[in-house]
Amino acid sequence: MNEMFEAPQGRRMNALSALALQGAAGAVFLAWATVAAAQDAKPLKGDKALGEYLSNTCTGCHQISGVSKAGVPPIVGWPEDQFIAVMETYKDKVRENKVMQTIAAGLSKEDLAGLAAYYATIKPTKGAAQ
Amino acid sequence: MDFNRRHILGGAGASLGVLALGAPAVLGQAKPRVVVIGGGPGGATAAKYIAKDSQGKIEVVLVEPKKEFTTCFHSNLYLGDFKKFGEITHTYDKLASAHGVKLNHQMASAIDRAKKQVVLADGSRLSYDRLIVAPGISLKYDSVPGWGKEHEKVMPHAWQAGEQTKILKAKLDAVPDGGTIIMIAPPNPYRCPPGPYERVSMMAHTLKAAGKTKSKIVIIDPKPKFSKQGLFQEGWEKYYPGMVEWLAPDIHEGIKSVDPKTGTVVTGFETYKNSPLVNVIPAQTAGQIAIQAKLVDKSGFCPIDANTMRSTVDSNIFVIGDASIAGAMPKSGFAANSQAKVAAMAVRGDLTGSRVFPARYANTCWSLIEDGDVVKVGAAYAAKDGKIAATSTFVSKTKEPADLRKQNVQENLGWYAGVTADMFS
Ligand SMILES: Cc1cc2nc3c(=O)[nH]c(=O)nc-3n(C[C@H](O)[C@H](O)[C@H](O)COP(=O)(O)OP(=O)(O)OC[C@H]3O[C@@H](n4cnc5c(N)ncnc54)[C@H](O)[C@@H]3O)c2cc1C
Repeated sequence: MNEMFEAPQGRRMNALSALALQGAAGAVFLAWATVAAAQDAKPLKGDKALGEYLSNTCTGCHQISGVSKAGVPPIVGWPEDQFIAVMETYKDKVRENKVMQTIAAGLSKEDLAGLAAYYATIKPTKGAAQ
Repeated sequence: MDFNRRHILGGAGASLGVLALGAPAVLGQAKPRVVVIGGGPGGATAAKYIAKDSQGKIEVVLVEPKKEFTTCFHSNLYLGDFKKFGEITHTYDKLASAHGVKLNHQMASAIDRAKKQVVLADGSRLSYDRLIVAPGISLKYDSVPGWGKEHEKVMPHAWQAGEQTKILKAKLDAVPDGGTIIMIAPPNPYRCPPGPYERVSMMAHTLKAAGKTKSKIVIIDPKPKFSKQGLFQEGWEKYYPGMVEWLAPDIHEGIKSVDPKTGTVVTGFETYKNSPLVNVIPAQTAGQIAIQAKLVDKSGFCPIDANTMRSTVDSNIFVIGDASIAGAMPKSGFAANSQAKVAAMAVRGDLTGSRVFPARYANTCWSLIEDGDVVKVGAAYAAKDGKIAATSTFVSKTKEPADLRKQNVQENLGWYAGVTADMFS
């Protein structure tokens, strides 16, 4: 189990979620523990083109093929709300990892919606550990 | 700072709005051509992204003499026996086969800016609609008295990877127990700010692993301080006690001369003789081609527009990677990869009218100090007041828990796999 991707414990959860994260075979599996009544959840319709552009920052580490090596998990093909929820926890510094917190700090709600919309459309290539 | 689409359409982003919405520069003509000079992290990424994202609408030619590219990043891991040479060496085949980049394996010898042509080593010319200049650095061989290009096999720099890296490794492995390695560190600005100090760590690791703990590494530094200094010095004391000595300029009082024949380094303070390994990392400028084409300012590097990486000297040219003056961004492979994608977007905007978004950049530099202990420094960046400025930053802390450092080890390996896939496949 890779510490970096563990669920934050005993810390503030935003309205979006309580997230449970489990690592399996070096990959990351994300599951909704509970989806709390999401009052602020009029989900933004993500601008995929913006998301594709912003994904350029992600692809410096996270492979677009969905292949994952060592301490960098795959991020393709996630449900949009899940993608946003994970990024929000970095943005709120609820979840540890300085690199992700720093990247997330500069992303607006539109940005996150765009990224989520884009990544939801990407399927892992054959052979990528998911 | 939060950029969003509102910024594009008004105020500070007005010029971008024009680029995004205005008539593409060469629509309606024959297929536009982009020439990329240099197939390092910057050039390879730019060539790939322009070819991939334009889906055949732009012809991309990558001019690079080498058929295999050895990364400087993780070359220190090779020195420390954490990676094999083959693991830090990549080919360009996939750029051609998967994305349709045309490879032209020779040097560009000149840029004819008036004619918008690149002159190649064989005398032929390549016309371009847009040109990406990504030649990395050139070394100032006259910046260390007594040392020059003719001595680089005896006193290697290994600041451009390949044969030099192997020479350095062979010399490192041959250092006898009790021998003193001298590193002459470079002045600012230079490629990879933490690079010399990660290298020292890996040299010390190799000596220690071979039981040569009576050996020493002396760093003669022209700078009064260096990147992640507290973290490196803490690590050296912890893992390599008594083996690493860092000398600031007020201590060594300058390098007077080196003699490659005898392995001698003379400083204002002391003379070191018979060193089995002198690693000279000289001062640096942008790659020669950028200097010849007069894309540089008096710093020796190329000024660019912070939102696009477009040269401020020539609007048909983009300069990315180590050759550029990228504001707060360090000269790193991570940064070059990030800048390349911003330039690629701007080039497509120019040539095919595709959407152009405000620039976002990122960087993280991981440094391996000892097995299981990696420190990191990084930031996110955007254009601000005409410069690339950090919008948020972080750096590892001294005395932080060992498991954090262990996670960094994995992250560093994952990053390398990811970024090289992004550049070369
Ligand atoms: C020891 C060391 C460790 C490092 N560690 C890290 C690290 O951990 N992380 C990190 O992000 N960065 C690291 N770096 C920095 C990184 O290697 C550079 O910043 C990066 O290589 C810059 O990429 P570039 O594309 O600008 O230039 P380069 O990598 O130098 O590539 C330029 C290419 O252009 C070609 N070229 C030059 N002139 C011409 C011409 N006239 N015609 C055709 N082709 C030409 C060259 O052959 C070369 O292939 C390290 C550097 C060193 C030295």
